[in-house]
Amino acid sequence: MSTDCEKTTAKAIPSTRTVTVNDAEHMPHDYSTTPGGTLFSTTPGGTRIIYDRRFLLECRRSPVAKTPPQGLPKIPGVTSPSSKDMSVKAHNRELLNHNNNITETDSINTAEDSQFEMDI
Amino acid sequence: MNNKFDALKDDDSGDHDQEQGSPKDSEKEKTEDEDKDQNASKKKVSEDRLKCLQPSPAGSRVLDIILPCVQMVVPGAGEHPLQYNYTFWYSRRTPGRPASTQSYEQNIKQIGSFASVEQFWRFYSHMIRPGDLTGHSDFHLFKEGIKPMWEDDANKMGGKWIIRLRKGLASRCWENLILAMLGEQFMVGEEICGAVVSVRFQEDIISIWNKTASDQATTARIRDTLRRVLNLPPNTIMEYKTHTDSIKAWEDFHGLVNASGGR
Repeated sequence: MSTDCEKTTAKAIPSTRTVTVNDAEHMPHDYSTTPGGTLFSTTPGGTRIIYDRRFLLECRRSPVAKTPPQGLPKIPGVTSPSSKDMSVKAHNRELLNHNNNITETDSINTAEDSQFEMDI
Repeated sequence: MNNKFDALKDDDSGDHDQEQGSPKDSEKEKTEDEDKDQNASKKKVSEDRLKCLQPSPAGSRVLDIILPCVQMVVPGAGEHPLQYNYTFWYSRRTPGRPASTQSYEQNIKQIGSFASVEQFWRFYSHMIRPGDLTGHSDFHLFKEGIKPMWEDDANKMGGKWIIRLRKGLASRCWENLILAMLGEQFMVGEEICGAVVSVRFQEDIISIWNKTASDQATTARIRDTLRRVLNLPPNTIMEYKTHTDSIKAWEDFHGLVNASGGR
């Protein structure tokens, strides 16, 4: 990056911002962050519809997300139209606890015990 | 479109027929490459691939009734649209080795398609978690219109990253994987095709498929994103496998027992 004083000219606001990533180091560590450091979930037309994990998990709580889909095929042992609601809560808690080193989970942590150990 | 699931992929233990899908959807790639209006692009792809698209009542929630391959799903009012529509599939190998194309077709089921975050959760919350599946089973989550088969036009030049997991990790890793895919965290344009979790006897396998196996920048970025979103231990082995290699391995393995006229 040059330290010289540079003249800039007016440009239209781009509807799409392209960030080239040539090195893994340039990838953000937090996965709600996009390359280049911008934080956004949805952007005005033209760019992609991006959701981070935390947002997606929050959407799970909306009533419409809990309704069984109509036309769900009954596959024994695979689709369980009624019995899963009970486990959703525990499942969410477990998800939020699995990785303590991701800061986004810290703020919405509601339980302490970790269901998984990650050492393989 | 090739209706037969004669070539349903099956991670590594791969039951598979080598018949090539009909190369009729080249138009699709062109459409996707343009990528100017993503909604238009998405719709066009589905029109190309789902010949049985029917007109839908404008803005109707009726479309929440999902009849696979009959109607294109759309986000309901107030729901959060996804970049792409996706379809859940489930497959299970029946005991013994499938001997015919019918076996593959019978072994894979469409669970349903969704277009929004909320619709995704409706399905996901009413499906068993992969870690609780029994037997030789797979969940597949692919973009609507792409079959979870090596020979699908979107897949045939592609490959997949494979991560083998010890028992107990599949459910969480699968969820993180598909949330990253649905949320467009991979940043590789149109390259992602879908994801698979394969429940096997001693281990589970998750994989993510992309279109162009030769695109090293893309495959490297997918790998790095996987590491990031799955929070994998540093020593986790990740393997990239092209579908042509998978097909060849399958042929080598089944060459002597394939009585139905394989190569």
